[in-house]
Amino acid sequence: MADFLAGYSVQKWLESCPQGYLEDTVYGHGADEREPEEALRNEVLHEQQIRTTVQLIAGERCALAASSGLVNAAPDQPSKLFLATQTLDEARHVEIFTQRLYDLGVTPDNLESTISRYVNPNLVKFAEVLLEKIDKKDFVAGVVGQNIVLEGMAFSVFEMLQAQAADSNPKFAHTLAGTIADERRHVGFGENRIGELIKRHPERKSEIQRMQQDMTGHMLATFHTAFAASTAANEEFHKLSAAKGGQRAKAVYQGVDLAEASTDEMEGALANTVLKEFKTRLGRIGLEYQSPS
Amino acid sequence: MGECGDPHQLDEGDFRSTVHSFEYWFEAVEGYLHDRPFGVSPKTAEIELSDRQRDGLITTLCNYCVGETAALEASSGMIGFAPDRHAKIFLSTQVVDEGRHLEILLHRLTQLGVADPEAEIGKRASKSLLKFKDRLLDLVDSRDWEAAIFAQNVILECLEFTAFKHHASTADPVTSEMLWGIVSDERRHMGFGENDLGRRLLAAPHTHERLSKIKRELDALVLNTLSETMGELGIGMADQPDLAGDYLAAVARLGFRS
Repeated sequence: MADFLAGYSVQKWLESCPQGYLEDTVYGHGADEREPEEALRNEVLHEQQIRTTVQLIAGERCALAASSGLVNAAPDQPSKLFLATQTLDEARHVEIFTQRLYDLGVTPDNLESTISRYVNPNLVKFAEVLLEKIDKKDFVAGVVGQNIVLEGMAFSVFEMLQAQAADSNPKFAHTLAGTIADERRHVGFGENRIGELIKRHPERKSEIQRMQQDMTGHMLATFHTAFAASTAANEEFHKLSAAKGGQRAKAVYQGVDLAEASTDEMEGALANTVLKEFKTRLGRIGLEYQSPS
Repeated sequence: MGECGDPHQLDEGDFRSTVHSFEYWFEAVEGYLHDRPFGVSPKTAEIELSDRQRDGLITTLCNYCVGETAALEASSGMIGFAPDRHAKIFLSTQVVDEGRHLEILLHRLTQLGVADPEAEIGKRASKSLLKFKDRLLDLVDSRDWEAAIFAQNVILECLEFTAFKHHASTADPVTSEMLWGIVSDERRHMGFGENDLGRRLLAAPHTHERLSKIKRELDALVLNTLSETMGELGIGMADQPDLAGDYLAAVARLGFRS
């Protein structure tokens, strides 16, 4: 365990993250990068960008509360130290996505009301299931919920958003690239650290699988309502992509061309990817994926 | 990462969003952490320590680890009930600072030949400091923001700032360089506590009496810890700096007199 945890030290984090892939960035993107004009002027796209960013902030606020709450519950010093770095990663994500709302024209005075207006209620329920485990200082359930389920979901959502933004919004795509690199590290820690604890505490399996089942149900409901609400914005995105004709770059995610796909197809691609990842990752730590009831 | 400029030119809202940010934190630490793995430049050479000096240093560093573990657990525990986003983000930078301090102190212990630092800390930890840690975490568990930020970012940070600053000026070169980096962080943490509590005390002056009562309770534990630290470092009574006086003066500068 000690050897694997040495790879998650504060020193390694400093070298790879702030002194590595975040070097020369401002709020995670290039200093001269701006939101594209379409995202600011087109009413439908503008609202969709705000709605999407609000979900990212809600997810990251949950991750910040969970990772900081797990520091005290961690059974050993190396895990505490890794969770310290994860706490600051999640705080940075809250900060950069909040900054994106400001870049989209939301004022600091309207921040909380904007979040309340657009946050998906299913995502709130998803967070509540996890934070209940954190409040009980349940380290094993907390790390599975946080570093496998929440981070696994975030990782795939960020990848899809990044594919969509690669051509149309390089600023947002760069912001997401840094968060994807962070999430990869968090998921890696969860898999490596928790497998051993699950082996030691097999009696915890059914309760933790139930938490995964509840969180997965809320996650799928979040995807469904979020994509249903974005039909008009998706059509605008298609129109803009079509206007670029042969000049448009491919925005492909899991084999689906996002510039032409319907919201149903996009929802299917995202949900299938996340669930496949869950099954693989949960299997690696000795848990069996449970479909939502 | 980007330039933040002089934050003191900003109004209060912009000041808080600038200073309590990841960007600002990174610019602050990068100057003294760049090319210094585990807080020390590879060019800094070890000097030979006598067995007595080495043993005293190990005990002192074990106690620093107790203090930093307390700070790590307290600052992370406070994020859940911090009053706003800026405070949560500042505390997140503090969490990683405290984690880094603990990591470099443990690393130094292994350099000094300690095979199992966690076990050694268990053997050598000061009882007064352990009691202080328990009391601090009680305040955090009770989700009392003013009391917790006072005990953590004023009392504990002043204790560490005072002890580390004095020790850094007399320690061997490797320990000294490591401690100066920690002192730079503690100064920032104290600044946050002073700023946050200063605004709250202006709005609710009666809070001062409540916090003074907590200070009186914690002072005894702090003063005992400082006295034990001097003994561990093998400094004779005649040569001991007035750490207790320095600690009380540092807290008094924040408006809390004995």
